[in-house]
Amino acid sequence: MEQAAKRFKRSRRLGKWTPYLFISPWIVGILLFTVGPLIFSLIMSFFNWPVTSKPKFIGLDNYSKMFTDDPQFYKSLWITLKFAVFYVPLSLGISLILALLITQHVKGVKIFRTIFYLPAVVSGVAVSIIWGWIFNTKYGILNYALSLLGIEGPKWLVDPNSAIISIVIASAWGVGTMMLIFYTNIKGISPDLYESAAIDGAGPFRQFRSITLPLITPTLFFNLITSTISALQQLTLVLLLTNGGPLKSTYFYGLFVYNNAFKHHKLGYASANAWFMFIIILLLTALIFRSSSVWVFYENEVKNKPARGGKGK
Amino acid sequence: MLRVKGTGKSLLITMLLVCLTLTACGGGSGGKAADQGGKQTIRFATWDSEDNLTLQQELIDQFNETHTDIQVSLEAYGSDYDTKITAGMGAKDAPDVMYMWNYPTYKDALEPLDSYIEQEGGSFKDNFYETLWNYNSADGQILGLPVGYTTHVVYYNKDLFDAAGVPYPQDGWTWADLQEAAKKLSDKAENISGFAFSGKPDPYDFEMFLWGNGASYIDDQGNLEGNLNSPKSIEVLTMFQNMLKEGYAITTEGSGATEMKSGKVAMFTNGAWSIASLREAGINFGVVELPKFKDGSAVSVVSSSGISMSKESSKKDAAWEFIKFWTSEEANKARIDYELPVLKTVVESEQLQNDDMKRVFYHMLEMSEKYTPASFKVDNWSEISENLQLAFEQIFNPSTLMDPKTVLDDAAQ
Repeated sequence: MEQAAKRFKRSRRLGKWTPYLFISPWIVGILLFTVGPLIFSLIMSFFNWPVTSKPKFIGLDNYSKMFTDDPQFYKSLWITLKFAVFYVPLSLGISLILALLITQHVKGVKIFRTIFYLPAVVSGVAVSIIWGWIFNTKYGILNYALSLLGIEGPKWLVDPNSAIISIVIASAWGVGTMMLIFYTNIKGISPDLYESAAIDGAGPFRQFRSITLPLITPTLFFNLITSTISALQQLTLVLLLTNGGPLKSTYFYGLFVYNNAFKHHKLGYASANAWFMFIIILLLTALIFRSSSVWVFYENEVKNKPARGGKGK
Repeated sequence: MLRVKGTGKSLLITMLLVCLTLTACGGGSGGKAADQGGKQTIRFATWDSEDNLTLQQELIDQFNETHTDIQVSLEAYGSDYDTKITAGMGAKDAPDVMYMWNYPTYKDALEPLDSYIEQEGGSFKDNFYETLWNYNSADGQILGLPVGYTTHVVYYNKDLFDAAGVPYPQDGWTWADLQEAAKKLSDKAENISGFAFSGKPDPYDFEMFLWGNGASYIDDQGNLEGNLNSPKSIEVLTMFQNMLKEGYAITTEGSGATEMKSGKVAMFTNGAWSIASLREAGINFGVVELPKFKDGSAVSVVSSSGISMSKESSKKDAAWEFIKFWTSEEANKARIDYELPVLKTVVESEQLQNDDMKRVFYHMLEMSEKYTPASFKVDNWSEISENLQLAFEQIFNPSTLMDPKTVLDDAAQ
C-alpha cells in the first residue's frame, strides 16, 4: 500500500486525476443525459424550431413572445404557483405526521409503515387512473363516502373550482418518500433526550416541539426544497387526470411546456418556457437557502460553539 | 456547491465537448446499422396495441416470409404515438413507414406518394373510396394510402327503446326526432338519460355537426370570424346546450361509450370503435345514420388512418413495397374485425353493404364526400383546436353553461 501511495505521489498528474476517474461514470452520465440536453435546450430556445422543418434563429423572440403575447403563460404560471402554495405545506405536514405515527412502538407498526409507503412505489400513471375513478362525480367512491355523511360532494374533476384541489389531494397521496426521510431522521434522535425530557415532566407535545422539531429542521429544509421543486414541475397527474381541464383550470406550467413542444410542435418556444421555469426554481431555492440560517438547526454547530446560557439546567 | 479549478475545469469542458460530438454523430449512423444478410430492414411504426397488434405482427411475419429481400420490424408506440413520432422526426430518425392520420402537422416529413400511385395504374387508385383521399392528403399531395376509416353514427340501446315503447330510429331522421325520442327515453328515477355527448368534444369531430347545418369553423381563406360564430354555428351549439338544460341529455368525460356500456344511456354518437366493446358488454344495440338538421343533411367527419413513408427514408422502394402489401385486399380482409375495409372490391366480396351495422358507416362515408375538416385548411390547427375545445367546455360544463353566442364570438377573435 505504501509503495503504491508513493508511486502515485511521484506521478503527480495521475494523482490529480484519480478522484475524477472514480466519479467518471457519474460525470459522463450527467454530461450526456443532463448537461448536454440542458445546454442544447438553451440553444433551442433562441430558435423557431418546428419538428418537421428546418430551425430558424430568432434571437430572443421566444422570450419576448412569452412575456408580452401569450396570456396562457401567465395563467399557467399562476395556477402552478397556486398549486405549490397548497401542496408544499400540506405534503410536509402529512408526511411529518405519518412519520411520527410510524415511529411509535405499537404492534403491527411495520405493516403501517409499508402501507403508508406503498403509494410512492405505484407509478404516476396508475395513481392517475385510480384517482380518476375516486373523483368521479356520479360513481366515485369519494362522493359515495361523502353521501353517507349526508354531504353532497363537489364535482371534483368537472368543476373548475374544485379541480385544482383534487390534484392537490391526489398529489398528497404520494408523500411516502418524504415520510421515509423524516422517519429515518426521527429514528436517529437519541432516546436519551426523550428520556430525560420525560423525567423533567415533558408531555408528548412538548417533546415534539422542543426535541423532535428542532432536530429534524435540516430534513424539513431538504424536504421543503425537493417538494417545492416537484410541485413546480408537476406534469404526470394533470396530463393523465385532467389534461389541463376543466376549462383550463389545471393547465399547469408543466403541461403548458409539454403541449407547446409535443402538441403544437414549437420546440424552441417550449425550451424558452422551460428555461424560465428553471430560473424561477433557482431563485426560489436560493431564497429558501437564504432563509435557512434563521430556522434550520444543525446540532454540530451548537456542539462546536461554547454553550449559551445555563447549560446544566 | 460545485467548484472546479484549473485542469479540472478544462477536463470538464473537454468531456462536455466530446459528449456533444458523440451525440451529434450518434444520430447519423443509426439508420445504416440495421441491415443484415442482404436484406433491407424497414422500420414500421404503429399506434395499435393488444389484439390488433398481435394481428399486425402476424401479417408482417407473412410479409417477411414471402419477401427474401425485405425485413420489416414493427415498432409499437401505443398511446404515446404522436410524441414518439415527433421525437423521431426531430432527431432525423423517423421510422421508414408509419401509421398516420394527422397529415397537416407532419406533412413536411412525409414523402408525397402521387408518383408511386401513378406507376401502379389507374385502377389501383380507383379501388379506394374517393372520400378518403381528401383525408390522406395535405397541400394537394397524397401523403398516405388509406388503411382504415370510420364515420360517426348514432348508437342506440334497443332494450331501452323497447322498454319505453319508442320505435327504433330510422335513417333520414332529424335532430328533432332524436330530441323527442330522448325525452321519452330519459327516466330520472332509473337514472337513465336519453342522449349522451362529450362535455369536451374533440373539435375535429364536432365540426361535422356544423357541416350538417351548412356551417363550418373556417372558410377557405382560414377566417374564423363569420364562420365559427355564424348564426348557423351558434344554432348548433345552442341546440346541444338546450338538450342539457332540458335534462334529457348528459355530457360525459369521454365519447359516452362508458355510459352506454353501463346501460344507462339510450343514445350516443361515435365511430365504429364502440361496436366490439358494446357487444362484449352485452348491450343489445343498433346503429343508425346521424340525424339531419331541418334544412341540412347528415354529414359525418371521417376518422381515417393511413400509412405513410418518411421523407428521410433511405429505402423508399422497399418501403413502398410494404405499403402496397399493407393496403392490399388480403390485408384489408385480415383486418376486417378491427377496421372497416377501404377497398371497394373487398366491400363487395365480403358483402358489407348487406351488413346491418357496417352498411351504415359506408353510407355515411358516401354522403360526406365534399367536406374538408378545418385541420386540413390551416397551419396552426393544434392551437385553434385548443381554443375551440375551451369554448365548447365553457358552453357544456354544468358549472358554467355559458351563452354560445358570447363564447363563439370571443373564440372567433
